[in-house]
Amino acid sequence: MEQDIILDFQHVSKNFPGVMALNDVSFQVKRGEIHGLCGENGAGKSTLMKIISGVYPYGNYEGKVIYNGQELKLIGSSIHQAGEEGIAIVYQELTLVPGMTVGENIFLGKEPTEMGSITWDRVYSDTQKILDKYKLDVHPQDIVKNLGVGKMQMTEIAKALSENAKVLILDEPTSALSEAEVTQLMEIIRTLKQHGVTCIYITHKIEEFFRIADTVTVLRDGKVVTSQPTKDLNSQKLVQYMVGREMKERFPKGNRSPGEVIFEVEDLHAQDPSKSREILNGVSFNLRKGEILGIAGLMGSGRTELVMTIFGEYGHITHGTMKLNGQALSIKNGNDAMKSGISLVPEDRKRHGLVLIQSILQNISLPNLERFASFMRVNKDAELVESLKIARDLAIKTPNLFVPVESLSGGNQQKVVIAKWLMSNPKILIMDDPTRGVDVGAKFEIYKLMNELAEKSISIIMISSDLQEVLGMSDRIMVMCHGHSNGTLEMKEATQERIMTLATGIS
Amino acid sequence: MDISTLGQRFRRNIQTYVIIIALVAIWGVFAIVTKGGFLGPQNISNLFRQMTVTGFLAIGMVLVMVTGGIDLSVGKLAGFVSVIVALFQRDVWFKLIPNQPLLAAALSVLVGLMVGGLFGMYQAYIIAYLRVPAFIVTLGGMFILNGGILLATGGKTIAANQPVFSAIGQGYIKAPTNWIIGVGVVLILFFLMFQNRRAKIKYGFELKPIIQDVLRTAFFSALILIYLFVVNKFNGVPIPVVILAVTAIIVSYMSTNTRFGRYAYAIGGNREAARLSGINIKKEIFLIFTLMGLLCGIGGIVLASYVGYGTIAAGQGYELDAIASCVLGGTSTLGGSGTIFGALVGALIMASLNTGLQMMNVAPAWQYVLRGFVLVLAVVIDVYFKKSN
Repeated sequence: MEQDIILDFQHVSKNFPGVMALNDVSFQVKRGEIHGLCGENGAGKSTLMKIISGVYPYGNYEGKVIYNGQELKLIGSSIHQAGEEGIAIVYQELTLVPGMTVGENIFLGKEPTEMGSITWDRVYSDTQKILDKYKLDVHPQDIVKNLGVGKMQMTEIAKALSENAKVLILDEPTSALSEAEVTQLMEIIRTLKQHGVTCIYITHKIEEFFRIADTVTVLRDGKVVTSQPTKDLNSQKLVQYMVGREMKERFPKGNRSPGEVIFEVEDLHAQDPSKSREILNGVSFNLRKGEILGIAGLMGSGRTELVMTIFGEYGHITHGTMKLNGQALSIKNGNDAMKSGISLVPEDRKRHGLVLIQSILQNISLPNLERFASFMRVNKDAELVESLKIARDLAIKTPNLFVPVESLSGGNQQKVVIAKWLMSNPKILIMDDPTRGVDVGAKFEIYKLMNELAEKSISIIMISSDLQEVLGMSDRIMVMCHGHSNGTLEMKEATQERIMTLATGIS
Repeated sequence: MDISTLGQRFRRNIQTYVIIIALVAIWGVFAIVTKGGFLGPQNISNLFRQMTVTGFLAIGMVLVMVTGGIDLSVGKLAGFVSVIVALFQRDVWFKLIPNQPLLAAALSVLVGLMVGGLFGMYQAYIIAYLRVPAFIVTLGGMFILNGGILLATGGKTIAANQPVFSAIGQGYIKAPTNWIIGVGVVLILFFLMFQNRRAKIKYGFELKPIIQDVLRTAFFSALILIYLFVVNKFNGVPIPVVILAVTAIIVSYMSTNTRFGRYAYAIGGNREAARLSGINIKKEIFLIFTLMGLLCGIGGIVLASYVGYGTIAAGQGYELDAIASCVLGGTSTLGGSGTIFGALVGALIMASLNTGLQMMNVAPAWQYVLRGFVLVLAVVIDVYFKKSN
């Protein structure tokens, strides 16, 4: 039936110089359904979303987009037009103003006014109504930068919803969320569906499609590979569609035998940088040589704070000890940590890991310039030789090392961050959510790389919000809850349920 | 190398080319309007000398802006240094060490560098370690130095015209000495080119065709020799131009080939990533503002020597010229990118506009208006090119 289709893509193509980003894409989105969209990075998902949102305006692409029975004709100059038509997008990168309150953010650009002055009471009461309706646990007067990523995401969704959206597009909404928050998000999406809102759901976490999507469309190299009901699919088939080849397993098998304990943390307590709040209260664990230790826990359980504190760049240690090879460690900053052989691949690679406007070469060598410096001068030839070698080892896909990092895909960017830290020959490599925002194929390569590193006797601490990843990659799993270590599980005893029990601290 | 890669290189370096094209265009227009007078030996000689004081400030300002900072005190600091140096010339040396102009000049330079360096260090400490925004610290510095200038001069003009000291800003290196130095520099350029190629072979890189390297080196050599040829028809190479060139080469080398320089760009590009890469940001910022102070010191010494006295208006507005030069030369106001070479070409454009408009007898009020428009226009063109890329 015609009227059941809210969005109909008809032979949509979009060319960039040298790349066919979308190639004759045709599929339909039914009104009121949750429509999953998946594909590896570069498959054309974001290009497609940019067409619906008007970033690439009408006439900038070939083919037709029929929206609500009419051809969608967005002009490029107005970002509000898509919103007025009822199409709302929640981007992967959050678009909130950190210094403003939740209410100010939600009404940013459309503040209700009376005689030219903003009626703040209405802003906050309307915000409260939206938050209540969808059971969002945020206060309208909260300053956004004080919220966790999960709550920021909720705010972002509330912001999109306040426009009475007919179609809500969620681009990687769960990449930074903990399991509990994901569940909460799924509830919100189902509530929306009951209100008749159509959802387009983009994610790299394919399990989520089976939890929530009615239909899944798979894009590969700018083409639609398939578009079919979720119930006819399974995750293996889906991965196969995405990568175009059969992928037997998501996690490569490593062949390693962890050795003796090299790093020990005993009853670590720490305060946040302003010394106002206790962020760690009793963390103990140890790390063996050539082992991958997974750290699981909910958002806000102190995982990132723990590794940043170990690295010397976050908290003030108030109690407890860290020992490397039996010797007490005193790390005041990142430089000390590196000298002791501890490297950190930070959680947010764009904010903390990379200088985006600089080249791959400059990024890789940044923490390692000391190696190439004699007296004052940096030996640029040696720098290039070593960087090339490591870039090749990690299979960073690029024509040369002089390209700015910002032009690389997420997976390749992550490899640059890893390369940068590997060059300093660490004994311990801390990886905070190493596969966040990375596509399936690149994930697999990063996993393989982690196995190889562990086989070379490097010990890895891996934080992850993806339980399957923790279970698939770790030798042991340390679970954190409210700032303390709530237990360490051996691989053979670990299950999703046991991890969640420890993480929520129920038992 | 085929056409398409040439095209790519051109696009990548568009910023450098745009500003050079702008310079050539401005010179062309002035040459036509002044019937060639603008490109006469005396004018070219003056033009380069006029840009020197701003040039020293712009060199430091590039690094400051690359880290994402700004320094509003540089003009007044150079002015203050020039006044202090003049004061020592008038009141101190001639009592302590009469009839020793060489020693007096050397000590004057030392005093100038110390004053600049120490004030730079004071501001650097507050900016880097007490974390007060550079804009505020240097705005305060501007006021303090303004007061300092008034206190030191007592509102009067102080003469600074001992012969050896005067040579720093007013002297020339004449032919044939400058030809010998010039040819020497050309030989060094070629030597470095071959050295560079040898290092590339040692590390097993593919070499660019030799003709490309030779053409590049020959181009720069030709510029140096043409410049010598032109200014030798007047008095020779002004000494301040030589000092500026040497300073520029040193700082430019530091900016690309030392950890100090590389860290500056990383901090401006992404402060957090730089911090987590183990870079001591406080120390780096401290060093950069201290270097800025030292460069103000050099600028102040040249200024005192060139004008021959210290006045209450010394250095007035130079900080804005320096910032404009950097922006013209492609330095990002957001930090992370910018080159010394670009900033100097920017300073040359500012000086060219100054001289050219004066030669055309344009009223000072309109000179300001035109310079303002050129600055904004240059950035508009730059933004346009970046967008179309």
